[in-house]
Amino acid sequence: MIAIMKKELRAYFNSIIGWLFIAFFLAFVGLYVFLYNFLNQSAFIGYALSSVSLIFALLVPMVTMRIIAEENKQRTDQLLLTSPVSIGRIVLGKYLALEILFALAMAFICIYPVIFSFFGPVNMKMSYVAVLGFFLVGSAYLAIGLFISSLTESQAFAAVMTFVVVLITCLADGIAELLPSTAKAAYATYTFLWLIVAVWLWRMLKNSSVAIAIFAVGECALTAVYLLKPTMLEGTIPTVFGTVSVMKLYDETITGVFNLTMPVYYVSIAFVFCFLTYQNIRKRRYC
Amino acid sequence: MIEAIGLVKQYGDHIAVDHLDFTVEKGQVLGFLGPNGAGKSTTMNMLTGYISVTEGTIIVNGYDMLEEAEEAKKSIGYLPEIPPVYPDMTVTEYLRFATELKKVPKKDRETEVERVIGLTKLEPMRKRLIKHLSKGYRQRVGIAQALVGDPEVIILDEPTVGLDPAQIIEIRELIRGLAKEHTVLLSSHIMQEISAVCDHIMIICHGKLVLSGTPEELQAQADQGESLEVSVLGTRAQLQEALSTLSGITEITEAEGETEKSSAVLIKSDHDIRTELSAALAKAGLPIEKLVRHVKTLEDIFLEATAAAEEEYRRSMEEDEEYEEEGAESEASANESEASSENTKGQEETK
Repeated sequence: MIAIMKKELRAYFNSIIGWLFIAFFLAFVGLYVFLYNFLNQSAFIGYALSSVSLIFALLVPMVTMRIIAEENKQRTDQLLLTSPVSIGRIVLGKYLALEILFALAMAFICIYPVIFSFFGPVNMKMSYVAVLGFFLVGSAYLAIGLFISSLTESQAFAAVMTFVVVLITCLADGIAELLPSTAKAAYATYTFLWLIVAVWLWRMLKNSSVAIAIFAVGECALTAVYLLKPTMLEGTIPTVFGTVSVMKLYDETITGVFNLTMPVYYVSIAFVFCFLTYQNIRKRRYC
Repeated sequence: MIEAIGLVKQYGDHIAVDHLDFTVEKGQVLGFLGPNGAGKSTTMNMLTGYISVTEGTIIVNGYDMLEEAEEAKKSIGYLPEIPPVYPDMTVTEYLRFATELKKVPKKDRETEVERVIGLTKLEPMRKRLIKHLSKGYRQRVGIAQALVGDPEVIILDEPTVGLDPAQIIEIRELIRGLAKEHTVLLSSHIMQEISAVCDHIMIICHGKLVLSGTPEELQAQADQGESLEVSVLGTRAQLQEALSTLSGITEITEAEGETEKSSAVLIKSDHDIRTELSAALAKAGLPIEKLVRHVKTLEDIFLEATAAAEEEYRRSMEEDEEYEEEGAESEASANESEASSENTKGQEETK
């Protein structure tokens, strides 16, 4: 586990990727802190961090895209999987490397509240809750990136998928507010989403008739609900989008008081996706 | 020591490895020989725990690969078909990583790296990035990695691919040296390669064992296939009469190329009878037109064995197809089988 972690970290810092990650991250956070805290004379770092969270969409794929996809492509997974290290430890080693890289970048962020305190009173407890929360959000996204990387041999595919997933979950809250809440819009959206599911099933099963049948059944049920009881669909889109919003809980926490829901939520996401990565690597061995 | 009992690997409805059984004792070098796609790499991937078995048991150094995977893997050094090297590492960095991965104690790591670099003669390349190495050197780095930690069992999948003749000889010597204290399993699709280093040869085709034995046994089998083609000026009866005076002939068959004046036969015998034969023919006054000795090599044995297996495989495939066509007559069962085959295809896709 330690060997794999060290290898990954060495790969980040021997190439430009690790340095770029830290540099971009600090530059963007610095810019937002300058805008939110210095120009607006606010002593609370949470709002700046909340606004800058969108850069995860760029930075997370940058460090996660190759982490497992490249092993699959170069066949170096054969070295890892035939050495006396369990799959769980391989995944953990890789995730730890990501966490350490991100923690190094976050260490610089910890200085900001101290700097602010030179200029006036700062609520230190809330500030560090915001910093910790931001670290947990990043950790959750890194686990998602790790999982997506394990799905494929192509770094490009992993990067694009991770970018899209992080972007949507980052913006979901904002998108949800903009979306129309009429039944008609809901009907159109769900039809589209159901179509995506059907196409995915068709790709997975290589069986067009089953995919078409599943699509038809779902579509009929949806149409029936839309025609008979349109009120059931009204207002559901913002709710559905709200549930995939990863940032929502963070935003709620920094404006209110600290509770345990936030860390539990983000640590759970990280755990679930590390576990899915483990299962995915295990599954490959059986086919 | 390696013990494999009833190994099966199935991908969907394609059987890649079909009930293989074998044992490799300590100090023995076993060679897997087979044409491309015979299931050699699949078998090796199962033995090393890279992929799971569909059926069967693998015991390496006394540890079951399924139950005690970590202990079993600890006693294996594996060079896969494509050397699993990281292009952005230098040779020493990579080998140091391998020592960490294979749990070599910290204080021994440096000496271990030096030892395998020495064994595989990588000294001049040690500071180079692996991506700048030629294929032969990459292969050597892969072999060095397999030797890290001095595992009891060494499994090499086509170890000499991409090496030049001098390097091939070096690697062969290295393998022979290793065989003294290790169990070695290697694969190749080249007969000479295998017969040069192995104590025991297993010829595999379409996942099945078609022939197995020591190189000597196989050579003896090849010698049995030796024959003399002789063509003389004279009638067949004259020739037969002359041959009947000779001892040791086991079989006489008609050969091609008979003309009005000459007759030709193929002779099989239990020893080399060329001198007696020419003397007997001279005595009978039959001028020799042609005397050819057809020798069978190990290569021929390999080709014959795999050709026979190929033929059998093709026939069984055709039978399967016929069977499926018969089944199509009943509509219900046809739909069922279609559904199941679609399912297995789906499984293949998801891997």
